[in-house]
Amino acid sequence: MTRYLLRRAPSALIVLWLASVLIFLVIRAIPGDAAAAMAGPDASEEAIAAIRHDLGLDLPVFTQYLHWLGGLLSGDLGRSYLIGGDIAGLVGEGFANTLTLTLAALVIAVLVALLLGPIWAATTNRWVDRVLTGFHTAAVALPPFVTGVVLIIVFGVFFRLLPTGGVPPKGMFDRLDITAQYLVLPAVCLALPVAGVLTGFLAETLRGELRQDYVTTVRAAGVKRREIVVRHAMRGALPVAITTLGLQTGALLGGAVLVESIFSWPGLGLLVEQGITRRDYPVVQVLLMLSVTVFVLVQLLTDVIHAYLDPRVRLGAQT
Amino acid sequence: MSTTEVLAVAGLRVSFGAVEAVRGVDLTIAEGEILALVGESGSGKSVTARAVLGLLPGTASVSGSARLGEQELVGASDETLRQVRGQRIAMVFQEPATALNPVHTVGWQIAAVLRAHQPLSKAQALGEAVRLLDLVGIPDPGERVRHYPHQLSGGQKQRVVIALALANNPRLIIADEPTTALDVTVQAEILDLLRDLRDRLGTAILLITHNMGVVADLADRVAVMHRGELVEQAPVEDLFARPSRAYTRELLAAVPRLGHREPAAVAVDDVALSLDQVVVRYKDFLAVDHVDLRVGQGEVVGLVGESGSGKSTIGKVAAGLLRPESGTVSVLGGAPAAARRQIGFVFQDPGGSLNPRMSIEDCVGEPLRVHKVARGADYRARVAALLDSVRLPASYARRRPRELSGGQRQRVGIARALALRPTLLIADEPTSALDVSVQAAILDLVTDLQQTHGFACLFISHDLAVVDSLAHRVTVLHRGKVIEEGPHHQVLRTPTADYTRRLVNAVPIPDPVEQRTRRTREATPVG
Repeated sequence: MTRYLLRRAPSALIVLWLASVLIFLVIRAIPGDAAAAMAGPDASEEAIAAIRHDLGLDLPVFTQYLHWLGGLLSGDLGRSYLIGGDIAGLVGEGFANTLTLTLAALVIAVLVALLLGPIWAATTNRWVDRVLTGFHTAAVALPPFVTGVVLIIVFGVFFRLLPTGGVPPKGMFDRLDITAQYLVLPAVCLALPVAGVLTGFLAETLRGELRQDYVTTVRAAGVKRREIVVRHAMRGALPVAITTLGLQTGALLGGAVLVESIFSWPGLGLLVEQGITRRDYPVVQVLLMLSVTVFVLVQLLTDVIHAYLDPRVRLGAQT
Repeated sequence: MSTTEVLAVAGLRVSFGAVEAVRGVDLTIAEGEILALVGESGSGKSVTARAVLGLLPGTASVSGSARLGEQELVGASDETLRQVRGQRIAMVFQEPATALNPVHTVGWQIAAVLRAHQPLSKAQALGEAVRLLDLVGIPDPGERVRHYPHQLSGGQKQRVVIALALANNPRLIIADEPTTALDVTVQAEILDLLRDLRDRLGTAILLITHNMGVVADLADRVAVMHRGELVEQAPVEDLFARPSRAYTRELLAAVPRLGHREPAAVAVDDVALSLDQVVVRYKDFLAVDHVDLRVGQGEVVGLVGESGSGKSTIGKVAAGLLRPESGTVSVLGGAPAAARRQIGFVFQDPGGSLNPRMSIEDCVGEPLRVHKVARGADYRARVAALLDSVRLPASYARRRPRELSGGQRQRVGIARALALRPTLLIADEPTSALDVSVQAAILDLVTDLQQTHGFACLFISHDLAVVDSLAHRVTVLHRGKVIEEGPHHQVLRTPTADYTRRLVNAVPIPDPVEQRTRRTREATPVG
């Protein structure tokens, strides 16, 4: 397993490096001047030039990149132009909130898929099939800004069961039951599309597995249908579902930006939004790099799990 | 033979929509009896077996009766059938490679089946799994129980499938083509195992097969199916000695037998294909190990060997589809790639090697178009002549491959291979996907065409009898090496190499009396 990980590590590092180059260049290609934006509309040319010099923006692009990369590698994420303060501090606070939200969404999505996928794959009841097809289509097709608003209207305004947004007044870790109340609507909203995609994939791979010869073998040996789906076929279907889950992390990271702004959840999404609208490029750069890193790590993790679940890959790597 | 019936099937009918697959089958199996259900593909033998266990898809409608003791199985509830499956009737399948779950250990799979019917703890079930693996002759069962299917050989996998079937002590095992996917030496081992299990455990076996040699080797009684009906049922010696129905006689006549053809040789002047010290390696696996092979003009050379022996790889090297690591290949004195127009290739799977979107005319004529040999009226005339030469009606030109039967498709494949009038024809297992009667017709066709056109032919097959029926010379391969080489009657009747002798002896003879004599002779140690 360690050897497998080591074999995959170089390509992950190359992806990260390419991403850093791309992010750095794309940010610089955006029209507009950060120094001018910072100095304000009435500033003189000298004032803008002074700010530019302060920020190091008068250096050649390549040198700027090396400074940034060197900082990243040594743990110095740089300073924000406008929001103010050390980026590490800004990101740290938002990161914990976003992580809580995405993990909650991930758990919901996985539970929904594990419950509905097998039912959808194994059902012979036409109505169950129709209901699940409807759920799948709606969950995949509806964007978070529609489901989010619907969730707020139904549970926050109409039934008044759950808060419409924000965070617990006394902090996240004061009372977990209250935190859960604040978390549930944004997490469900963020989870829905992923849950839809995962359910669809899991059901489809399970259907494929159920058509395999080995299923006939155990059926002919008198193993119960539920047992066949849950214990025999599932193990073969999971690797595909986990690969999909890895890819869907991207959707979760992107969706978090929207969902956080719908539910006023103070995570990285809000920071991204502020950073972009106010041209605070160092912040945006670090956030993009962070999300790429998370994505790459998740990919690596899913590959390892995939290898672990498939003995042909696992044992093949050993010999 | 005991008179206690294990299973009694009466008036069984199965239809899929308007198609009647089984039309009134009556048969009984006694305790400890081996009944062979034989017939060609589509005769309804597998459908009959699956109907008994309620394993047919929802689109099938089943009527009639299948009684297991007092229990009626046709129309029984899902739970009743589940209780019967594995516990009273179990099943062994054709393809051991896919019949086991690749992501679970074999012990886990046997334990799961045990626990479906018996209240055992996981540890108890695993212990029982070890005992079962031992029972079916897997060496070192305590270790093997933790292995995954891909770590076992094909024969071992089939033993595991048999262990799964035996797990809950069924009184009847339905074995659906249990040796068709196996090499002949492995087939012989599995047949021995089944016979031994019947003798030791008294399990009745319903053996479904198209192989008359297997029937002669194993069965007590034979039931012949044709187009959904049972045409004849008799003890095995009677059926082979005095088949009462014309269809049974045709079936028996179509079975290729070793050593029934007169020795034939051709005068060879020029060499069509020659391989010198050819080596092919796939990563660490030495697939072809310094092989020399020569096919003279107008000569048919049979290349035989078990799976993994490197015979198909040699076919690809000869056709210039694969470059050897070392050694030289020459076709008509030049490189195979330069002689491509002179080489025709017939593939194993007639379904997969024809483009389903093309008409038969375009399939056959493709080489003519690719090499810009003919177009327009000339093209159509030549395709029509080719179809005629493989005895297909001209009207088939407009059809698509899926509208043809397997045998007809293989005729199309042969016509395509002959389109450019090749000097060398390479045929890789051209009949192994076909029924015996169809196989016999295709072999006749190839022999006729070879005599008419005089092309050289490298005929690759795992079936010794098939090779014996048309080859002038035979080359035996084992693990990438040539083991023996010579005139067909010499290699296949008086083999000198040990391996060839084992191979020849493992082929079940389609004659129960002869087969029994051979088995007793093998059982008695010589000297």
